[in-house]
Amino acid sequence: MRILLLEDDAQLGAWITSGLREEGHVVDHFANGKDALIAAMGQDYDVLVLDRMVPGLDGLAVLKSLRASKNATPALFLTALGEVDARIEGFEAGGDDYLTKPFAFVELSARVAALGRRGDGVSAEPEKQTLLQHGDLSLDLLARTCKRQGQEIDLMAKEFKLLEYLMRRPGRLVTRTMLLEQVWDMSFDPTTSVVETHISRLRAKIDKPFETALIRTRRGEGYVFGF
Amino acid sequence: MSLAFSVAWLWRSSTVRLALILAVIFALGMAVAVFTALTVGGSVFERRTDATLQAMASSADLQGSRGDGFGLILREAGDLQDLPRAFDRVADRGGGTITLDRDFRNSESWRVFVGPDARGAAVLVAVPLDDGEEALELLSGVLWTTVAVVIALSLLIGLVAGVLGRRRLRRINQTLSALAAGDLSARTGIAATSDDLSEMAGQVDIAAAELEQLVAQTRHLSASLAHDLRTPLARLRSRLEVLPEGEERGAALEEVEHLSSVFDTIMRVARIEAAQGTDGFEAVALGPFAQELHEIFGAVVEDAGKTLALDVSQPAEVLADRQMLVQMVANLIQNAIRHGGANITLKVGGAAIGVCDDGPGVDPADYAQIVKPMVRLDAARHTEGTGLGLSLVRAVATRHRADLHLSPCQPQGLSVMVKFADL
Repeated sequence: MRILLLEDDAQLGAWITSGLREEGHVVDHFANGKDALIAAMGQDYDVLVLDRMVPGLDGLAVLKSLRASKNATPALFLTALGEVDARIEGFEAGGDDYLTKPFAFVELSARVAALGRRGDGVSAEPEKQTLLQHGDLSLDLLARTCKRQGQEIDLMAKEFKLLEYLMRRPGRLVTRTMLLEQVWDMSFDPTTSVVETHISRLRAKIDKPFETALIRTRRGEGYVFGF
Repeated sequence: MSLAFSVAWLWRSSTVRLALILAVIFALGMAVAVFTALTVGGSVFERRTDATLQAMASSADLQGSRGDGFGLILREAGDLQDLPRAFDRVADRGGGTITLDRDFRNSESWRVFVGPDARGAAVLVAVPLDDGEEALELLSGVLWTTVAVVIALSLLIGLVAGVLGRRRLRRINQTLSALAAGDLSARTGIAATSDDLSEMAGQVDIAAAELEQLVAQTRHLSASLAHDLRTPLARLRSRLEVLPEGEERGAALEEVEHLSSVFDTIMRVARIEAAQGTDGFEAVALGPFAQELHEIFGAVVEDAGKTLALDVSQPAEVLADRQMLVQMVANLIQNAIRHGGANITLKVGGAAIGVCDDGPGVDPADYAQIVKPMVRLDAARHTEGTGLGLSLVRAVATRHRADLHLSPCQPQGLSVMVKFADL
């Protein structure tokens, strides 16, 4: 994908640029709004990643100008403001998503990928598969059953949803924030250990009784599913 | 404008009330004056009449004849047979006033005097009183008319003053309501001329301008604070993420996460407090909502070695920001886990939702304290937490104009209920 990044902080800009490039995207990085706006007017991008606050013309103003000229490229705001402002102002300006600083790179990457799919006009849900299989673990989404080594495992509704989310992203880092949003529909950290609790219950059912653990914790980052 | 409304407004208008009170006082004063005038005036009139009658009696010389004429009755005291009987009775008492059932010689009312004539014989003199009574009636009529006119006038003046002030008062009221509802740009727009209402309106405008400026400053401050802290945190996080995996990196990332989560909570309270209006509000059915929260947090409570019960009775629908509501209940449950006993109850009663625990509870004298930001009672110092829980709950409640109600649980513990307006 071709991505435009507006970020005035050199350190963050370089980190995001190199991370996205490693994933195979083409990234044009701008440190001020005027250059970013000119570039976005001049060529087609798949996704815009805009810092909300940059000196001069900020991300919000850039996107407002673009939307005024009928440019519908999906846009993600990076914001150092609170979630309430980001939610309201960003969406008012025509933003499609927002991410509050500080964030884990995987979160940015997941959101950019989702926005890219939306822009393609392709369904954002390539998740038509109804039987998920990983090694000796299988999850049947229609029959709502879970089996490991042929043994049926009884899962609660949220545990089932959590496992489904993890199994669709084998080998990839999944953060607490991503889980809260996708599994519990919470756009904030409830400061209770909702994720930890459910992960540990899920582990007790699908990992503990067996030899190999499928869910690994990456301290300070999140969880990775798979061998 | 309906009649009921205008009557209600008339009664609420302080000018009209004042005019009414003045009118009543004036009427009472006038009543006293009229009464005094009638009684005093009446007795003076009687004394004068009696003096005249006495003079007539003493100068009479009847010798068996009758001296009636010119409307007068003048005769010897024994010669009363053709007069109404009332004259006899009054004559026996030596004189007085008579009021007859019907006219006698064109008059119902007579003043009678009995006294000695020039030769010492008892004679009766009587005059009709109608003329004098008429004068008194005229006097009282004038007085009562004056009362009525003055009352009508003062009410009219009150009404006019009320109507004139009403527009400005309503403008001031509207401005204050708008300010309370969060529209800080609201002003009365009334020029501060010399009268008291305009002056008050001017003061309201000045206060509103100061308030608006303060809030703008606070917003600006919190926005730049957020930016100045979140950007370096993001930079720190980006540096840590590129380090090779390991214990130290994980621990450092955890610290960053904790730091930003504390910061988020502080900012969230400030933001919820500053937010206004009902953007993002939706109808939330408290019954299913509580059920869902019970599923989400039940496991968390159990893992903390406690139980979360659900107690729902007659759940209502409320208008609320769903995410904020979840945050609020999450905080209440978190508080109960930290400070409460082993049994926690998520309660819904009508349009109220809240949490009750069976812990040591909180002294009702401290209730006002614990909802303030950052306050943690001494007893809670040894447990973890930032002290932000109930201040967030209060902020969410205030945002929804809901009542935050703290009370002791039976037999012990703390109950925190937030009562919303019914939808």
